[in-house]
Amino acid sequence: MNKTQLLQGTLDLLILRILDLGPNHGWGISIRLQQMSKDGLKTSQGSLYPALHRLEMRGEVTSEMTVSENNRRARLYTLTPAGRKRLNKETDAWQEFALSMRRVLRVLR
Amino acid sequence: MIARFFASLRGLLRRRQIEGEISEELRDHLEREIEMHRSRGVPPEEARRLALRDLGGLTQTMESTRDVRATWLDSVGRDVGYAVRVLRRSPRFTVTALTLLVLGIGSTTAILSIAYAVLVRPLPYPDAGRLVFLAEKDGAGVVWPNFEDWQKRATSFDGLASSLADAVLVTSGQIPRRFESRSVTANFFRVLGVAPFRGRLFDEPDAGPTAAASAVVSHAFWIREFAGDPAAIGQTISLNRKPFTVIGVLPPDFRYMTPAEVYLLLEPQVAANYRGMLSRNTRTTLFAVGRLKRGVGVTAARTEMQNIAAALEQEYHGKVGVQLMALGDRVVSDVRPTLTVLAGAVTLLLLIACINLASLLVNKGAARAFEFSIRAAIGGSRWSLIRQLFIEQALLVGIGGVLGALAGAAILSGLISMAPRDIPRLDEIRLDLAVLSWTTLLSCACAFVFGIVPALKASGIGGQTLVLRSGRGPTRSASSLRRGLMIAEIAVAMVLLSGSGLMVHTMVRLARVDPGFDPHNLQTFMFSLSGPAWPDARKQVFYDTVVERLRAVPGVENAAVTYSLPFLGSNWWNMFMIAGTTEAQWVAIGEFPNAGMVPVTAGYFETLRIPLVKGRYFDQSDTPDSQPVAIINSSLARKHWPDEDPIGKQIRQGVPEPYGPWRTIVGVIGDIKQEGVDRETSRQIFVPIVQQPRTTAFAIARTRGPVSSSSIDAVIHDLDPTIPVFNDRTVDQVLREASSRRRIAMVVLSVFGGVAVLLAAIGLYGVIAQSVAERRQEIGLRMALGATPGRVLRLFLKHGLIVATAGIACGVVAAVAAARSLASLVFGVTATDPATLATVAALLTVVTLLACLVPARAATRVDPSEALRLE
Repeated sequence: MNKTQLLQGTLDLLILRILDLGPNHGWGISIRLQQMSKDGLKTSQGSLYPALHRLEMRGEVTSEMTVSENNRRARLYTLTPAGRKRLNKETDAWQEFALSMRRVLRVLR
Repeated sequence: MIARFFASLRGLLRRRQIEGEISEELRDHLEREIEMHRSRGVPPEEARRLALRDLGGLTQTMESTRDVRATWLDSVGRDVGYAVRVLRRSPRFTVTALTLLVLGIGSTTAILSIAYAVLVRPLPYPDAGRLVFLAEKDGAGVVWPNFEDWQKRATSFDGLASSLADAVLVTSGQIPRRFESRSVTANFFRVLGVAPFRGRLFDEPDAGPTAAASAVVSHAFWIREFAGDPAAIGQTISLNRKPFTVIGVLPPDFRYMTPAEVYLLLEPQVAANYRGMLSRNTRTTLFAVGRLKRGVGVTAARTEMQNIAAALEQEYHGKVGVQLMALGDRVVSDVRPTLTVLAGAVTLLLLIACINLASLLVNKGAARAFEFSIRAAIGGSRWSLIRQLFIEQALLVGIGGVLGALAGAAILSGLISMAPRDIPRLDEIRLDLAVLSWTTLLSCACAFVFGIVPALKASGIGGQTLVLRSGRGPTRSASSLRRGLMIAEIAVAMVLLSGSGLMVHTMVRLARVDPGFDPHNLQTFMFSLSGPAWPDARKQVFYDTVVERLRAVPGVENAAVTYSLPFLGSNWWNMFMIAGTTEAQWVAIGEFPNAGMVPVTAGYFETLRIPLVKGRYFDQSDTPDSQPVAIINSSLARKHWPDEDPIGKQIRQGVPEPYGPWRTIVGVIGDIKQEGVDRETSRQIFVPIVQQPRTTAFAIARTRGPVSSSSIDAVIHDLDPTIPVFNDRTVDQVLREASSRRRIAMVVLSVFGGVAVLLAAIGLYGVIAQSVAERRQEIGLRMALGATPGRVLRLFLKHGLIVATAGIACGVVAAVAAARSLASLVFGVTATDPATLATVAALLTVVTLLACLVPARAATRVDPSEALRLE
C-alpha cells in the first residue's frame, strides 16, 4: 500500500512538472516525460490517464476538449494555481528527500 | 471534500458523456502512438501491437480511469449492494436483529407517544403555563359560596372561573337525547383564552338576570345537530325542555377536563339554587380555574389563596382549605402513575432490545474479524471499513425503523382501544414523530457503537494473530463486553418482572376483596325523569312500576332502583344530625356526622344480596306517607353507636338547615364497597326512594344469566318513549373499567417482563455456549487429565451463575428504586414487597440456571481426544 502511494505521488509530481511548462495532452505528456528524463523514466499509459483524471478531481489541473492541428479532438490539460502550489511544495520535499538519501548513501560508502 | 463530492456527483450524472470522452482521449493517444511508431518505420500491424501494449490494454485503462472519476458515490453504491448481500447471506442474524429493532422501536414509540401526548405536550390553550387549578381540598372542587369569596378577595389572577360537569337533555326532537354538558361561569372561556369558531362565546352580560338563556356548543355537536350550518348561530334549541339560543361554536380542538358537547352558564343555575349550590354544605363542587397575572408565580398565588382560605375558615367555622396547582398537572394527575410506569417499562424494554442487538452485533463483528483483518491486510483502508460497516448498520436500522414505525402505529391503536375512556386527552394521541426519531436514533447509536467498534478492534489485530485466530470465535474483549451486557439485561428483566409480580399480586388482592354483595349478573341502566311532567307523586309510582315490569322480563330474578350504583361512589353526600345531640357538640369535635345518602326502592338489598345484620329491609309498608325510615350500614353503626343498638335511633339529613324529616333507623345492613373495591368502606344511609324521589336513577336487574341490555331498556321505552335511557352496563363491567389502568400496567409489565426474561435466557445461553465452544480444547485437556464431567459442568454453571447473580443483585437495587412509581397502583401489597422480590429473584435464578445447563452439559460430552486433534 505504501509503495503504490509513493509511486502515485511520484507520477503526480512528474505530471505537474511537465504541465508547468505549458498545457499539454496525455500523449504529449508521456512523450515529454521520456524526453526530459532522457528515456530514464517511462510511464505506463495504464497509470497515466487515471493519474490525470485524479489530479483533475483534486482540482490541481483542469482540462478541456480541443481540436488539435491535424483536426483531431484531444483533451488538453492545464496546471491550476493549486497544482502549482503542490508542485512547489513537493519539489522541495523531494529535493530534501533526495539530498538525505544521498547523504546517507555517501556515509555508508 | 465538498468539491470532490460534487465532482463525483457530476461524474455520476454525466457518466455516459465522460465515458465517451475518456474513450475518445485514449483512442487519440493510441493513434498518435501508432503514428510515432510508423514514422520510425515500423510496419502498421506491429505499430498497433506496440501501442496497445504500452497502453496496457484499452478496456483496462479505460476502467481504471473511469474509476478515478466518481469514486466516492460509486463506492457507496457498491457498499450498499455488499451490505444487502451480507444481510441476505445471514438471514438468521438479519431476522433476529430486525425483530429486536421492530420490537424496541415499535413498542417504545407507541407508549412514549401516549405518555408524551398526555403528560408532556402543553395544554391546547394560549399561554397555558399561567393556568392553575383550584380546589378546597383533595382536589375535590369548591362550593359556589367559597368560590365567590375567592373571586372577590384574590388579587393574583387575571380571571378566576369555575365550571361543573353535567348532562343535559336535548328536547328539541321527539325523543329527548342526553348529552354531556358543562356549566361554566361567564368568564370561563376568556380565562382559558379560547376564541370562538363561529359566533361568540359567553360574556358577563349573558349571565345577567334579564339576559336570554344562551348556549355554546362543541364543534362536533354543531356538525352533527346543525350539519355545520353557519345559520345555527342565533337558533333556539330546547335543553331540559327550556329554550336556549345558540350563540357560538367552539373550535374543533377545544378540550377541558371531561369532554362536553353543550356549554351552559353557571350563574343562572346558582341563582336557582340548582343542586343546592348556594349552600356551603353541599357536595356539589365546581372545578375552578384561574389565569395568573403576568409575573405572579404559582407559589405566590398559593400563599395568597391559603391566607384567604384561613380567613374563610375563621368566618364560617369550617374546614375549607385550598389547593392550587398548575392546570396541566391536575389534568393528568390521575393517570400520571400508570403512564410513568408504562413509559419506564417500555424504556427498559428498548434498553433490552438494544442490549440484545448490541450483543448480536458484537458477536457478528467478532465473527467477521477474520474478514476485516484480511481486508485490512490487502489494503482496505480503515475509513473504507468504517464506511462499509456504517452502511450495513444504517441499512439494518433503516429497515427496522420503518417496520418499527408501522408496528408502533398498530400497537398504539391497540392500546388506545384498551384504554379507559376517561384518560384525559386520549383523542390528542398521535404516533409522535419526535418520539419515533428519538427511539430510532437510540437504536442507531446502539447499532453503530456496538456494531462498529468491536469489529474495528478485531480488525486491528496483526497479521500473525490473524492466522492463528482465524478459525476461532470472538476475541476475549468481545466476550467480556457480552458478559457485561448480559448482567445489564438480567437486571432489567428483574425490574420488569418484579413490577409485573406486584401488579399480579395487586389484581389477585383486588379480586379477593369482598364487595359485600354479589356483583355478578347485574344488568343496569340509567334513566331520567326530568321536567314539569314529573312531579314527585308521579315519580313515586313510576319507580315501583319499573321494578315490577323489570321482574317480569324473562331471565330477570329481581330488580330495584337506586340513586347510587355500588363501585361508582356516592352521588349524594350529606351531613346529618343525630337526635339527642346538639350542633355545638359536633362543632367542638370538629366534624358533623356525614354519610352517603342512597335513596333505593324496596327490594334493593335483596336484589344485590346485601346481608341484613339487624332489624328489617325496606318493604311495601314504606310509602310516601308512612313513617320516615332509614337503614344504615355497619360502618355507620359502629362509628356512632359502637355499644348501643342503633335500631330506633333518629337521624335527620342536613346541617345546619335540615333537609327532610327526622328518620327512624329500622335496619342495619352489611358493608358494601360503594366507593370502589380499592377504597375504604364508606358510611352509608339508605332511605326509601318513595320518601325521597330523585330525577336521575339507576335501574338494576339481577339476571339468571346474560340478558341483553335492550330487553331491559325496552321496559322504559314501553312505559314512556320520551324517557331517556343511557349508560347500559353490567356491574361486572363497572368493576372491570375501574381496574383497567391496573390491568394495562399488569399486562404491559408481564408481557415486557416475559420478553425480557426470554431474551436474557437466550443471551445467557449464547454466552455460555460460546465460552464452551472456545474452550473445547481446554475442556478436552482437563478431562484427559482426569476431570470428571460433574466438575466440568460445575465450571460452566459457576460461570453462568456469577453473571446471573450479578444481574439479579443489580436488578433488586434497581427494582427497589423503581418501586416508587408503582406505589399508587399497587393494592394490598407494598411496592417493595420482599416476598415478590424474592420470588422473582428465585424464578430468574432458575431460568438462568436452565439457560446455562444446556450448553454446560454439552461441555461434559467433549471427547478428551479433541485436545490432541485440534492442535
